[in-house]
Amino acid sequence: MSLSPSSDSRSIRAARHARAALSRASRRAVVAAAVALGASFLMGNNAFAAPAVGQQAPDFVAVDTSGAKHKLSDFAGKFVVLEWTNPGCPFVRKHYNSGNMPATQKSATAQGVVWLSVNSTERAASDYLQPAALDAWMKSQKASPTAVLMDEDGVIGQAYGARTTPHIFIIDPKGVLVYAGGIDSIASARPDDIKSATNYVNQALGEAFGGKPISTASTRPYGCSVKYKT
Amino acid sequence: MILSRIHLATFLVATAAACMPAAAQLASKPGAVVTTPHVRAELVAHAPDGVSPGAPVWVGLQITHQPEWHTYWKNAGDSGLPTELNWTLPAGVAAGEIAWPVPKKIPIGNLANYGYEGTVLLPVPLEVSSNFKPPLALGTGASGLDIRLKATWLVCRKECIPEEGEFTLALPLQGSTALHKAEFDAAQAAQPQPLDKPGTVEVSGNNLQVRLEGLPAAVQGKTLGFFPETPELIRTAAVSGKDWTQTWQGGTWTATLPLADQRSASPTTLPLVVTLAEADRQPGQPVAWRTEAPVSGTWPATAPRAEVSPALQAALAANAANAAAAPAPPTELPAQPAGTFVVALLGAVLGGLLLNLMPCVFPILAIKVLGFARQAGNRSAHRTAGLAYTGGVMLSFLALGGAMLALRAAGAQLGWGFQLQSPAVVAALAALFTLIGLNLAGVFEFGRAAPLSVCSAQAKHPIANDFLSGVLAVVIASPCTAPFMGVSLGFAIGLPAAQALLLFAALGLGLALPYLVAGFVPAIARLLPKPGPWMNTLRRLLAFPMFATVAWLVWVLGQQSGIDGAGTLLALLVCMAAIVWALTLRGRTRLVIATVLVAFTAVLTAAIGRNVLQTVEPAKLASSTGQRWQPWSAERVAELTGAGQPVFIDFTAAWCVTCQYNKKATLADADVLADFDGKKVAMLRADWTRRDPAITAALTSLGRSGVPLYVLQAPGKPPVVLTEILGKDEVRAALAAL
Repeated sequence: MSLSPSSDSRSIRAARHARAALSRASRRAVVAAAVALGASFLMGNNAFAAPAVGQQAPDFVAVDTSGAKHKLSDFAGKFVVLEWTNPGCPFVRKHYNSGNMPATQKSATAQGVVWLSVNSTERAASDYLQPAALDAWMKSQKASPTAVLMDEDGVIGQAYGARTTPHIFIIDPKGVLVYAGGIDSIASARPDDIKSATNYVNQALGEAFGGKPISTASTRPYGCSVKYKT
Repeated sequence: MILSRIHLATFLVATAAACMPAAAQLASKPGAVVTTPHVRAELVAHAPDGVSPGAPVWVGLQITHQPEWHTYWKNAGDSGLPTELNWTLPAGVAAGEIAWPVPKKIPIGNLANYGYEGTVLLPVPLEVSSNFKPPLALGTGASGLDIRLKATWLVCRKECIPEEGEFTLALPLQGSTALHKAEFDAAQAAQPQPLDKPGTVEVSGNNLQVRLEGLPAAVQGKTLGFFPETPELIRTAAVSGKDWTQTWQGGTWTATLPLADQRSASPTTLPLVVTLAEADRQPGQPVAWRTEAPVSGTWPATAPRAEVSPALQAALAANAANAAAAPAPPTELPAQPAGTFVVALLGAVLGGLLLNLMPCVFPILAIKVLGFARQAGNRSAHRTAGLAYTGGVMLSFLALGGAMLALRAAGAQLGWGFQLQSPAVVAALAALFTLIGLNLAGVFEFGRAAPLSVCSAQAKHPIANDFLSGVLAVVIASPCTAPFMGVSLGFAIGLPAAQALLLFAALGLGLALPYLVAGFVPAIARLLPKPGPWMNTLRRLLAFPMFATVAWLVWVLGQQSGIDGAGTLLALLVCMAAIVWALTLRGRTRLVIATVLVAFTAVLTAAIGRNVLQTVEPAKLASSTGQRWQPWSAERVAELTGAGQPVFIDFTAAWCVTCQYNKKATLADADVLADFDGKKVAMLRADWTRRDPAITAALTSLGRSGVPLYVLQAPGKPPVVLTEILGKDEVRAALAAL
């Protein structure tokens, strides 16, 4: 292999090529940056462990149906109930049409509990509701949650491992998950079953305010699958 | 608002129509068939020897689903409900349990269900005792067994419709009822066979170890499906070979299955079914086996109650102080006082300046040095170049800031440097730098590899060129948070949008400042040498920082995708280099060689390309670095500090060069390590190479959004955050203060 010193003309040509290389590099950099941003949005749905009862509940920031922001840690010092919901699901309608869910919300918020209804239905789903429509539906059901949160990208739902609508999580004043599971003990779509079922949310909150440990802290949630963005 | 009301109304009407219970759509007199928009359900019977005590009598509900719809098995999985059958039978006749045929696993996103699609028959045996007195039918003389069934089932596609139906069937006592023999035979063939030996299930950590013996020889070596009959136990959506594993040792089948994160069942006996894959099923041979295995070992207790983080403690105190005031949910983050904000802005500019000295900005420096060499002596061009570059940098920073704010609004917890947490992006950057390096080294000239028009069009826009290299600078520099930058970013995440964007702009200004000054102060510009033959040498020389960057990126990818990923990336980079070289050839040689190389690359990509994008589990740190470092988890920190031991946490990532420098220098220094040992400090490492929400959350709670971050936490004291370029003296002083 022989190395020859380069001539002037070659160096000028080299400079021209270097310029071309630079401009190509810049264009590629833009593409790379676009890919980077795009990928970071797409890859946010990695499965990771949802909290178990007794573990710290993941903090989140979410926008409610009226556009206001809510941060879980802002409610530190209070009990917080997270209720996954979707008006298109018959199991949700069982508990709203019968007045069961609104009554449970009312009794909880009357005791100073923060009740956040979360809708993780993706925008593409057939029963996705715009924030205003969801708000109107909640009002029509005489529901009284503290706020109704929009989670169309499913970030909060995936963080908590929410599987069904309804699916209930209770977080204590120290931010620890103390209940995860169903709204009550009879898994069915029949409203008639409500009166003979144990309402786990009322029971857990009653025990917590009574200074007793929560006797039934994890149960089987039942309902429709949460329609996550895939 | 009006529009949304209309939407709501149509939506309610539509769902109400879709959810009319099947019963309401029935004719007044129930028969044997109920048809709904989603299923056709029929009550069928099979009594080949008539109805008498001891004779086999089967009834069943046959459900034929519309395409894509399904009903559920006895364990429905993550959602759904099993079909229920309620029989009304005359005295002396009793119905048994449903003999559930083998289900199918139906994945839906991150969740999964167990159920049936197509046509399924749920058979139920009837037991006719001698107490059964058949009613005498008047007139006809024939008498029958009157069967009434009320069935409820949940039928789902993505949406779910609860349906129900009432069915009646009169079964003749004499003669044979065998019209549906084929369906009952098929349902029989789809029954799991009982295993002779019960097998064992052992709970170990967060997994179930299942061990089965006595499966037929024909099945050995085949991959089986696993269906627990107990719900709320295992992670239903776990994928075989990825989330759970199975092996054969001789005639013994063992499997390791992950427990559900929110498990609510802790059975002492686990009834379970294992099935052959559809492809392995032979007609006339069993397709599945069932056993009730005893469960040994102890179920993992619920996690220890987590410690309250300092941030949360502060929030608690603040909330307690505000308890008297009426609580109004905050709708906008509070603005910072002006004084603090100015300091933060200055810090951001300084942080941006220091970014220029970070190793990951070096390739950009190389590119810009060439750029200035190219335009020496043209002052206005210098000015424009400096301005364009500054514009590129600042706009990119604003774009990144805007993206971050958008994500913050969506509630996503994301920190700085996220671009390099994605293997696809790392691979793309490695390819880009390989191409730049090859070009600088003279392997190919862009003029040949692309139409001339493109090159000349590029050359006409030097401003766009500088602007874009500014964008490139930001993409590469972002993973390295210099001192001040981390603080500024942590600050920005909790700020109103306008202030946060200003902070990002200040960061960008700091990064671009050296070039901007060089463009405007001729003294600096005059220091640049004149064009000449040295440029060629310089160009060749500059190829090496590019290749060094590629080496670093391959190493980063290796951390994310493992050795296979890194090897595959290197192979593909070699292929790419060869293709680029082939395109510089002439005539037929070029055509032949390039075609062969492209074909080969395509085959290689199809065969092993996936390796690059896979992510591997982080290796246990303890195994590679002895016993000193343990993997970080919030629980572990709480456990150690709870036991009175001080903890040092290294928040790090493979793609962060500053982190690697600190790891090899200060954190490997014998004196420093001796001090750590002297104070009995537990050392934890939080690896953020892949995105990990737990680590992101921990960084946020410490007011930062990037790595490196070093924290020394003594029990009962607030955590001490050390500087990002870790000095030996600083660490030793902090340890001495414990």
